[in-house]
Amino acid sequence: MSDMIPRPKPRPGPESLPYWQAAREHRLALPKCDRCEKFWFPPSASCPHCLSAKFTFCDVSGRGKVFSHVTFNRVYRASFSERVPYVVALIELEEGPRLLTNIVGISPEEVRCDMPVEVVFEDIDAEASIPQFRPRGSC
Amino acid sequence: MMSIITDTTQIEPSRELRDTCAIVGTATSRLGKVPGVSSLDLLVEAIRNALDDAGLQASDVDGVLCRGPDESYSHHQLVAERLGINARFSTTLTNGGASQIMSVALAVMAIRFGLAKTIVCGFGRDTWSRTHASEEARVKNETRPEAMRAREFGPEYGYFGATAAHAFGATRHMHLYGTTRDQFGEIAVAFREHALRNPDAQMKKTLSIEDYHAARMIVSPFGMFDCSLRSDAAGAVIVTSAARARDMKQPAVLIKGFGTHNNTRGWFADDNMVVTAAKLSGEAAYRMAGLGPRDVDTAQIYDCFTYMVLTQLEDYGFCKKGEGGAFVSSGALRLGGALPCNTSGGQLSEAHCEGMLQIVEGVRQLRHTYPVERQVKDAEIALISGHGGNQVCHSTLILGRAS
Repeated sequence: MSDMIPRPKPRPGPESLPYWQAAREHRLALPKCDRCEKFWFPPSASCPHCLSAKFTFCDVSGRGKVFSHVTFNRVYRASFSERVPYVVALIELEEGPRLLTNIVGISPEEVRCDMPVEVVFEDIDAEASIPQFRPRGSC
Repeated sequence: MMSIITDTTQIEPSRELRDTCAIVGTATSRLGKVPGVSSLDLLVEAIRNALDDAGLQASDVDGVLCRGPDESYSHHQLVAERLGINARFSTTLTNGGASQIMSVALAVMAIRFGLAKTIVCGFGRDTWSRTHASEEARVKNETRPEAMRAREFGPEYGYFGATAAHAFGATRHMHLYGTTRDQFGEIAVAFREHALRNPDAQMKKTLSIEDYHAARMIVSPFGMFDCSLRSDAAGAVIVTSAARARDMKQPAVLIKGFGTHNNTRGWFADDNMVVTAAKLSGEAAYRMAGLGPRDVDTAQIYDCFTYMVLTQLEDYGFCKKGEGGAFVSSGALRLGGALPCNTSGGQLSEAHCEGMLQIVEGVRQLRHTYPVERQVKDAEIALISGHGGNQVCHSTLILGRAS
C-alpha cells in the first residue's frame, strides 16, 4: 500500500468544507435543514427540499444500502493504477441522501444492489480523510 | 420511488407546430478519423454539404443554431462568420447530446413565429483527434476543460467519466429486471451489422457476440463494445417552413413533433438512472405529433452506451419497463426487424456526433433513397432521441415523410 501513488484529495468549496472537516474527525455529517429537518447531499447553501438557508451539519448513522455500483477495470488516473479493479458505489443512507463512495472489505464480484453497508474512514494523509463503506457487520 | 415532477399538470404541447416545418437538407462531414481539421471546420463542411443537398446557398440561411465544443464561447458566431452570413436568429445550446434535437425544436418555433425563414442546425466534434492525434493527446486523454471537471465527491474515489455514470444505470437495471450482458451485446452487434452496410462508418470489422464478451472490461458491467466511439464528425440539417419546402430539391421531411425533459434533480436521484427523461420527453413529442410508439417505423436512439438504448426503448413505450432485454433479443432492432434502430450504425459503430447523426439518418430513411439493404421498408415515421447534459436531459424528435 505504501508504494501507491496517493489518491487525489478532495478540493472542498466553501459549502462542503464542514463535511470534510467532520470526515477528518471520522464523522459523517450532512447538512440538515433547520426548518423542514431533512438532510441533503451534496452540501449547498440552501435546502433543496424547502429552499431554507438555515441549516446545521449533523452527524448521520453511517448506515445505508448500495443503490447501484460499478467496477473500474480501466485506469483513468495514475493514482488508481494499482487499485484496479475497484468498486465505486452509490450509497443510499438511512437518512435519505445518496453519496458516491468506494466499497471496501469485499471483492468486487460480491457487491450487490441493496446490500447493507456502513461507513468506515480512510486517511489519505495527515490532513484529509474520506468516507468509505463496507458490508455491514464485517470488520 | 416516484419520479418527482415539479408541476404535475399535464401540459399540452402546441399541436399548431405539427407539420409546420420541414428538414430540406442534411449531410455529414467526413466521419471517423479526420486529423488536422477542427470541430468548427468539420461543422462548416457538414453545413456546406447540407446546403448542396438542399440546393441552397449560404445566403438563403438566416438562422444558425448549434452546440459548440465545451470550451467555445458563442460558437454560432464562429459558424455564421465562416458561412459569410448575418443571422436573424442564432444561439449556441449547451445541453450536451440533447442539444441537437433542441436546436431543431427551437428552429421550428422561430420559423413558425416569424423570427427567421431558414435555419441551419448542426454539431461537430474532433474527439478522435483530440485523444489520438499526438502522443501528448494520448497521454492526456481528456476532452473536457479543467473547469468542467469535478473537484470532490468523485475523483477521490476514482470515479471518472461518463462510462461509469451510465454503468450505474446498467447495474441497477440488471438488478431490478434481470437484464443481461448478452442483451447489451445484441445492441452492439446489431448496430455494427448496420455500420457494415454504411461505407462512411468508422467501424469496418464484423462484431460477433463472442467478440463482445471477449473484449476487455472498461467499467463493469460495460466492456469495450458497450461504449461509443471517439470520432471526428459533424452533421447538419436545414429547417424551413413546410410551405417553402414544397418547391425544393429534396422530398421534404416534416417535423411532426418534439419534446424535451430534464431530470435536473440528477442522474443519481429518484429512479432517474432506470426511468430516464426520455419517457416524459417522448410523451410530449408523441402528443404534439398525435402519434404513439406503434406508429414509429424506425428509431434512431442516442447510443452513448448499449444500456442507454435498452432503457430508452422502454421509456419511449416500444416495450414495457423491464422488458427491454427481451425486446432487443428478439432481433427487433435489426434492419428487417420490428423496429429497425440506428440503421447507419449509431454512435457505437458509425461515428459519435452527440446525436446529430441520428437526425441525419432519420431524414435519410424517410426520403426512401437508400439502396434496399440499408432502407427501412416503407418508413413513414422516424423517432429520434437526444440525451446528454450530465445524463439527465432528453429531447425527442418525430419526423414524417410528406405525403
